Amino acid sequence: MELLILPLALSLVSLIIPKSTRRFAALLGALASIVIAVVHLTSFHAGAFVELFSSNHQTFFRMTYQMGYDGLGLAMILLTNVIVFVILLANFENVNIASNKMFNSMVFLMQFALLGVFTSFDLILFYIFWELSLIPVFLIAFWFGEKDRKRTLLIFFIYTFIGSLAMLFSIFYIGTLTTGNYDYQTLVDIEMNTKTALVVCMGFFFAFAVKIPLFPFHTWQPETYTKSPMAGTMLLSGLMLKMALFGILRWMLPLTPEAYHCYKYVIIVLGLIGVIYAAVIAMKQNDLKKIFAYASISHVGLIAAGLMILSIDAFTGAVVQMVNHAFVAVGLFLAADIIDRRLGRRDIQTLGGIAVKAPKFAFWFAVICFAAVSVPLTSGFIGEFLLIKELFTDNAWIGVLIGTTLILACVYTFRAYQLSMYGKESSFNFNDLTITEIITFAIISIIVVVFGIYPQLLIDLVKPSLETILMTIKESSI
Amino acid sequence: MIALITLFVTGLITLFVAFTRKPLLVGIIATIGLIGGLFGLMYESRYGIRLFPDYHGLNFDTTAVMFSFICIIFTTLLVWTGFKPLTENENHAGDHIALMIFSLCGALIMTSFTDFFMFFLGLEILSIPVYVLAGMKKSDALSSEASLKYFLTGSFATGILLFGIAWIYGSTGSFDLLEIKNAILNSTHNSSLLYVGVLLVLASFLFKIGAVPYHFWSPDVYAGSPATIMGFMASVVKIAAFAAILRLFTDTFDSISGVWGPLVLGVSVLSMFVGNLSAIKQTRVRRLLAYSSIAHVGYALLAVVTFDSVETTTYHYNVYYYLLAYGLATIILITAENIINDESDDIENWVGIARKNPILGLFIIMAILSLAGVPPMMGFFGKYLIFSQAIYDYPYIVAIALLNSGIGIYYYLKLIVKVLRKPYEAPKFDKLIICSLQWIVLIISGVLLLIGGFLLLLF
Repeated sequence: MELLILPLALSLVSLIIPKSTRRFAALLGALASIVIAVVHLTSFHAGAFVELFSSNHQTFFRMTYQMGYDGLGLAMILLTNVIVFVILLANFENVNIASNKMFNSMVFLMQFALLGVFTSFDLILFYIFWELSLIPVFLIAFWFGEKDRKRTLLIFFIYTFIGSLAMLFSIFYIGTLTTGNYDYQTLVDIEMNTKTALVVCMGFFFAFAVKIPLFPFHTWQPETYTKSPMAGTMLLSGLMLKMALFGILRWMLPLTPEAYHCYKYVIIVLGLIGVIYAAVIAMKQNDLKKIFAYASISHVGLIAAGLMILSIDAFTGAVVQMVNHAFVAVGLFLAADIIDRRLGRRDIQTLGGIAVKAPKFAFWFAVICFAAVSVPLTSGFIGEFLLIKELFTDNAWIGVLIGTTLILACVYTFRAYQLSMYGKESSFNFNDLTITEIITFAIISIIVVVFGIYPQLLIDLVKPSLETILMTIKESSI
Repeated sequence: MIALITLFVTGLITLFVAFTRKPLLVGIIATIGLIGGLFGLMYESRYGIRLFPDYHGLNFDTTAVMFSFICIIFTTLLVWTGFKPLTENENHAGDHIALMIFSLCGALIMTSFTDFFMFFLGLEILSIPVYVLAGMKKSDALSSEASLKYFLTGSFATGILLFGIAWIYGSTGSFDLLEIKNAILNSTHNSSLLYVGVLLVLASFLFKIGAVPYHFWSPDVYAGSPATIMGFMASVVKIAAFAAILRLFTDTFDSISGVWGPLVLGVSVLSMFVGNLSAIKQTRVRRLLAYSSIAHVGYALLAVVTFDSVETTTYHYNVYYYLLAYGLATIILITAENIINDESDDIENWVGIARKNPILGLFIIMAILSLAGVPPMMGFFGKYLIFSQAIYDYPYIVAIALLNSGIGIYYYLKLIVKVLRKPYEAPKFDKLIICSLQWIVLIISGVLLLIGGFLLLLF
């Protein structure tokens, strides 16, 4: 339980800590939450299910406080806590934001909501945390975002809120099929026919597709990523979209396997379109943040498509890639923000020659870029390899088409890197990285490389629970 | 019964104390009386004591006690939040508060009546003080307009109601609800007299709660009357009317729900759409709240029609809980209106409240999120209760209602953005003056809104 209470307490405490020590306290708090998660990890046996909180007490709402984690949940908890720490560290230099009490409070509230999403084993509880996560990220983007952000943020909030309402409809609908509570096991045990399952999964699909975002529902994303402050973009791309992928894995697939054969190719094709379409757009963009926003659509399209292949390798690949993408996205947006903060612009046509003035920055940016294009020895390689392999086994054409992501990613990432870091030398000053920024990049790079060399660390943790999920799906889909 | 008498006596005392022109004294007496009424209510229901065992006109059963309870609490909160503006005019220091308490007496009767006599009496006692209160700002043309409009349309509604009661009497031969219920159940073939009567009564109810197509008065009246009175109309009057609807339609006329059910369902859907779509374009806060309240009436009506699929008391709780959440949020927003205290009531007045006073801003945002139905606010749980019950019978209607929540988020969010953004006259701006009573109201309603959903989980 302390896993969840700590962020909530931190969120309140950061309101009263004096300004001068606020950012240090926040870092310390985030570190403490990592430590707690690691303590949970050390006492965790692969394949186990750990109950954080449970009550079978039938309430007025038919809702139960079922909270706990399996391997998958624990991996996501660790990811959340580490990413929150990295985000705070990345913003450490930016005193205006890092010392703002509302910023720290909202980041921890976000962490609380995300941990809630990853540990909920009750659908209503899941929905409550899911919606709760929207408020802090909206407020962070609203308070610290760039000019002309209001319209964009309105669209973002309404879009995702309507998506969530569709999920709420599914939740209500699934409630009519059982007299029990909304807890995980009851819902998984429901037998429904294909038509009912399709109705239920449509709502989930819409909510998750908006948040991932999948191809036709992605329109809010590039603008929102661009207009949000760096921390908001990192929270959105690093963590919030993982919520949706996690939701597919934990809720949508096990709850509606009866309709699996109906939506399998829909999601794969949408993912495929997203991969290529977003990559092509990213190639033509000049705004660094926009390039990385479209890159994000492209990367998660692959994960979403891979999740639709019911095999343990695909699921493992998806989880590895989720972890990888969280770190890479945070790294890329940090790089974009460093340029933005020093020069006040992000248009790659007006940049150039930074590598000469800031060799350290050029080095670390290059490391992140290599991780982003999934070269071997980074975790991206493991994830994308598994995903593409499984998609190829399922359908060679889709495998071939989706495999182009490897080439396309190189094109847009290195185009951005080349135009901004090399090229003709410009006359502006560019201070090299400070020590905290180097530490941030180093943490990201080390994690990405460690999982690239020895992914077994992560795979051992998540594989048993993924197998359980796979079993549940396969039992009823046949 | 104890509560009703206590409140009525309090009203009288308040009215006479008002002659002394000491607002503070009036406020203290009113508060003591209201809280005394609350205790009277609880005492009576706890020990099952009947003050007049032979009298059967009023029956404070569980539903009645529940609804009376929040009516009294809301009136208390509204008296506190409106204490300063209500007593500004020395000449009328106490009469407004006294009128509110008298109206509350009517609300209590509306929740507990057992025959049409008491019902009609309750409705009139509830309405007539509100007609007066709506015109409280005598020098303000809009306020007078509101008062007159409310009075005229309200009188028509009363006329229709009386007409309906006459038809029902004609077909069943009784005013007593139980006898009417039995008459309907026992006759194999109900005359169309009865149906006409029921529909006429329904029409007058829909007028009172401001549902489409009887909603035209509400934006004008809400915008014209003082903020506190608007809050009273949106919370207490609506709650009382809904309590009466539950008692009449789902208890007495439940066997002919085939007649009025589809109509209420249609009205519910129409109210959602008209309310939400009209609210989008509003530029004045109280008009916006009026339209949003029309939409909320639509959601709450959905609970009224789904009664037959669930056990008897559940839908009472659903409506009750929903209105509780709605009323608390409305009271917070009304308090904000009272604090801003601007005649023009323009939405631009709300710009930058969160900067001027962050805690007030927090409460306002919580209230708006609750109205919009965003978890973990109480409003979400209210919607959840109603929709998860209604989906058994009307999945499509629930889909429409959820779509309407999606429309609603647009104008609620716009209001939130207004509250959060920088004030125009930055960096210097007037401090908002919030008196201690208003703080108490804000804290009580805000905390309830936040934890209300989770409190109910414990039951």
